[in-house]
Amino acid sequence: MALLEIRNMTHWFGGLRAVYNFNTRIEPGEIRGLIGPNGAGKTTVFNLVTGFYTPTEGQIFFLGREITGLRPHQIGRLGISRTFQNLRLWTHLTALDNVKIAYYSQIRYGLIGAFFNTRARREEEERIDHEARQLMRMLDIDQYAHRVVSGLPYGIQRKVEIARALATKPKLLLLDEPTAGMGPAEMEETMAFIRRIRDQFNLTIWLIEHKMKFVMGLCGWIQVLNFGEIIAEGPPEEIQRNPEVIRAYLGEMVEL
Amino acid sequence: MEQLAQQLFNALQWGSFYALIALGYSMVYSILMLFNFAHGDVFMVATYIGYFVATALLGLAVLQVLPFSNIVIFVLTLILTMFLASFVGIAVELVAYRPLRDAPRASAAITGLMVGIFMETAVLALLGASRKDFPLLIPPITFKIGPVHVTNLKILTLVMAFALMLLLHLFISRTKVGMAMRAMSFDYAVVPLLGIPMNTIIAFTFALGSALAGAAGIFFGMAYPVLDPYMGVLIGWKAFVAAILGGRGSIFGAVVGGFLLGFIEILVAATLPSTMRDLIAYSIVLLILTFRPYGLFGEEYSVRLRL
Amino acid sequence: MALRKALTPLLHWFRTRFGHVPVGAWLLGAAVAAFLERLLGPDLAYLLGLGSVPAIFGLSIILKTPSLIPSVLVFVVLMYVIPTLVVAWLSRALFLWWEEQLSVPVYVFLHVLFLFLVLYFWSQVDPYRLLVLRLLGINILLTLSLNLVNGWMGEFSVSVAGFMSVGAYVSSVFMVWGFVHDDVFGPPVFPEFLAPFAFPLALILAGAVTAVTALLVAVPSFRTRGDYLAIITLAYVFIVKSTVENLDFIGGPRGFMNQPEVASFTVVFIWTVLGIWVMWNYVTSILGKATNAVRDNESAAEMMTVDTRKVKIVAFLTHAFWSGVAGGLYAHVLGYINPSSFDLRKSAEILGMLYLGGLNSVSGSIVGPVLFMFLTEILRPFQLAKWLVIPVILIYAMIRRPRGLMGFQELRIPFLTRRQQAKEEARAYGVTGN
Repeated sequence: MALLEIRNMTHWFGGLRAVYNFNTRIEPGEIRGLIGPNGAGKTTVFNLVTGFYTPTEGQIFFLGREITGLRPHQIGRLGISRTFQNLRLWTHLTALDNVKIAYYSQIRYGLIGAFFNTRARREEEERIDHEARQLMRMLDIDQYAHRVVSGLPYGIQRKVEIARALATKPKLLLLDEPTAGMGPAEMEETMAFIRRIRDQFNLTIWLIEHKMKFVMGLCGWIQVLNFGEIIAEGPPEEIQRNPEVIRAYLGEMVEL
Repeated sequence: MEQLAQQLFNALQWGSFYALIALGYSMVYSILMLFNFAHGDVFMVATYIGYFVATALLGLAVLQVLPFSNIVIFVLTLILTMFLASFVGIAVELVAYRPLRDAPRASAAITGLMVGIFMETAVLALLGASRKDFPLLIPPITFKIGPVHVTNLKILTLVMAFALMLLLHLFISRTKVGMAMRAMSFDYAVVPLLGIPMNTIIAFTFALGSALAGAAGIFFGMAYPVLDPYMGVLIGWKAFVAAILGGRGSIFGAVVGGFLLGFIEILVAATLPSTMRDLIAYSIVLLILTFRPYGLFGEEYSVRLRL
Repeated sequence: MALRKALTPLLHWFRTRFGHVPVGAWLLGAAVAAFLERLLGPDLAYLLGLGSVPAIFGLSIILKTPSLIPSVLVFVVLMYVIPTLVVAWLSRALFLWWEEQLSVPVYVFLHVLFLFLVLYFWSQVDPYRLLVLRLLGINILLTLSLNLVNGWMGEFSVSVAGFMSVGAYVSSVFMVWGFVHDDVFGPPVFPEFLAPFAFPLALILAGAVTAVTALLVAVPSFRTRGDYLAIITLAYVFIVKSTVENLDFIGGPRGFMNQPEVASFTVVFIWTVLGIWVMWNYVTSILGKATNAVRDNESAAEMMTVDTRKVKIVAFLTHAFWSGVAGGLYAHVLGYINPSSFDLRKSAEILGMLYLGGLNSVSGSIVGPVLFMFLTEILRPFQLAKWLVIPVILIYAMIRRPRGLMGFQELRIPFLTRRQQAKEEARAYGVTGN
């Protein structure tokens, strides 16, 4: 059974067709790429999968269960998490709090516990604190735990965002341009990092990227989106040679 | 039916008050993205200014001998009051908003509220002890159109309100400052390109809004002559609601919202006990905003997040 | 400048001598001072020619008749400064010993107890102080609960006066119907001596009803934020006021009185501490911190499995509940309410306290009302001038510190900080333990 299956997904913003007849199956353990020129609708696909928009037509299945029309936090609970194109950290909070809040759905005390500081709450907070620190240690960001995130370097903020996404215990992680604003050296490092977390956390990863080299080196299967439609898909070598892809990217040849 | 036609004029009159004041809220919002919570009290102060100007002008013997002295005095009062009121607006801008340009918006809201309270208390302390009656500028004449009685005051208010709105429209669309205001409401970044300092445009916006509130104050004083330091709270907040109903920052919306609120209130007052007026008016506001969260003419997010 | 220069050696002396005296010892010292004032205050005031005990450290006396400054100074030094310093100095060892021996909750409880004693003795001297302190407790509850929505959740709500109004009327009706012989509600339903015991129930009922009506503003908050939500909360205030004015059985615009005298200082103090404790617990829990996540980035919060609608509902309903409770206390402290006691100016007042103290800060929500009321009470003899001076001070405060005095930070209490640090070190090295 596929981890994620999307059938004939179409989305309209008013009179504008953002995504048209999108189909895909993502198998467990894959690193999947979604590429395309600016404004092709890549982020919209992610927003549809994670429930920020409900598709006008079509269905989305996760682990065989239909998730079309669920709200994002419900989808998040089922095991899909993501990062955002422009970091969306909770800027007034510390890195540790950013990670801890992502455990929200796993908290085993209720409002009574929150208001009256029950024993159950103290134990549970201790457990989450421990887990969150462990997670941060695995990503080498534990030394920033008590720093307010808005003051952290950009690269660290990216990692905090990934740690936060991992805290929800996802099976499928969507990364929206994980290398935005990075130089070539950091890119290499990020590729290794993504492979590592895939193995360490048993993840399936679906990423949007602009930098061809990055996608080609990392993904086993790539889909190319243009004007909301898939114009090509296949393994990296094939995509690189595909004339339609080259045409779609003509304006952005520099990036190839 | 006659009753209804009669109420129609009341609604138009109150709608004029609301619309003129609401314009001040909307114009400031369109440029600064924040509501000037002291605007209601600017209206109140302007009304008091109008009272002093009118009383002073009526005392001048020179003006009494002129032909159409009533009209001359009225026009002079209106112009002088609007002129003086605009300085109240600029003062509010200087004290409450300019120093907080980069601060969180809630802080600016607090300073606005506080300037309002300050003005109320100051007026109360200086003038509150004695009752102030707005002088009779134009003797009322009642016309009879069919079965409906209309006073010249109501007609004058309505005509002048529309004339002022037209002037405002011309100002915004034709003059350089007006165009700068429009440009600024689209994008802050273009302002340096226009060759007019940003703060000048902002001050001008406050001045314009306050001048309109001054005009509303004159018309209001002529119709309901007893002045009260808290009238800004009572009428100002309603006008604020009208601005919201129309949609934030929309000039056209403010006018429509003002008249709409006037109609709603008068209809409620005509059909239900008058004490229910506020209750129904604000309930309708709540309903409209619950189902159309961005007002009638306000823009929604281009892509609405489903949250 | 000259003043600061003159004070520097004094401050230095103070810091070296008293710098390490624990908070608890200061509280004990103040309690002893307040107790002494209760015993000897009136006589000393008489001897110094002050007439009666200066209500608020003589500050309004000084402003009104400057010639009394020497007497007031002597009074303050003899009555407050010397006993506090002496007792604090003497008892410091005791508190340092307790700090080691007692568990944190017990130690904190001890502090609250001493604080209660300070305020209790202090309030016994003068009915005016008693009133002010009770109103202060109420204002703290209002400010802190408002801070949940305006600070932690980052909305701009002005509905606090409306919430107060609902709470005040609900509790008043319950208490008058149940325990008072009233013209409208007839003879009491229950024996009158039960009134103090039923009052907590009345307050909880008041809070609960207020919370239900708060759904009117909580539900629209799902779809709209910022200015528009602010307008909805504004409309709420007007709707509540207008509704009460139209309900004749609770007096309409004339108001409602006859509330039994059940809101003593002790009762208000207990409710205030309870409110602070509950709200502190909430905002320090992960569940509560999700409110911050909704403020900083709502869509990220949703994606990270936070049920943002639930978070919003809880924030608004908690705000409403505690404002309702505060409203109930207010009604019974004053013994008379009318719809105009709960107009927008009331909201503006609470907003002033909130933004003076600072957003997103529990200690700010205590410091704000304390400072604000301190100012208003000093200026009370000047009546109108009060509302001229307060706006000016607030505007100045906003311009100098747009985030308020304590915005986004908490007061550090030394012994708690020490414990915190020890715990943190243990955690950072991966050692779990409680």
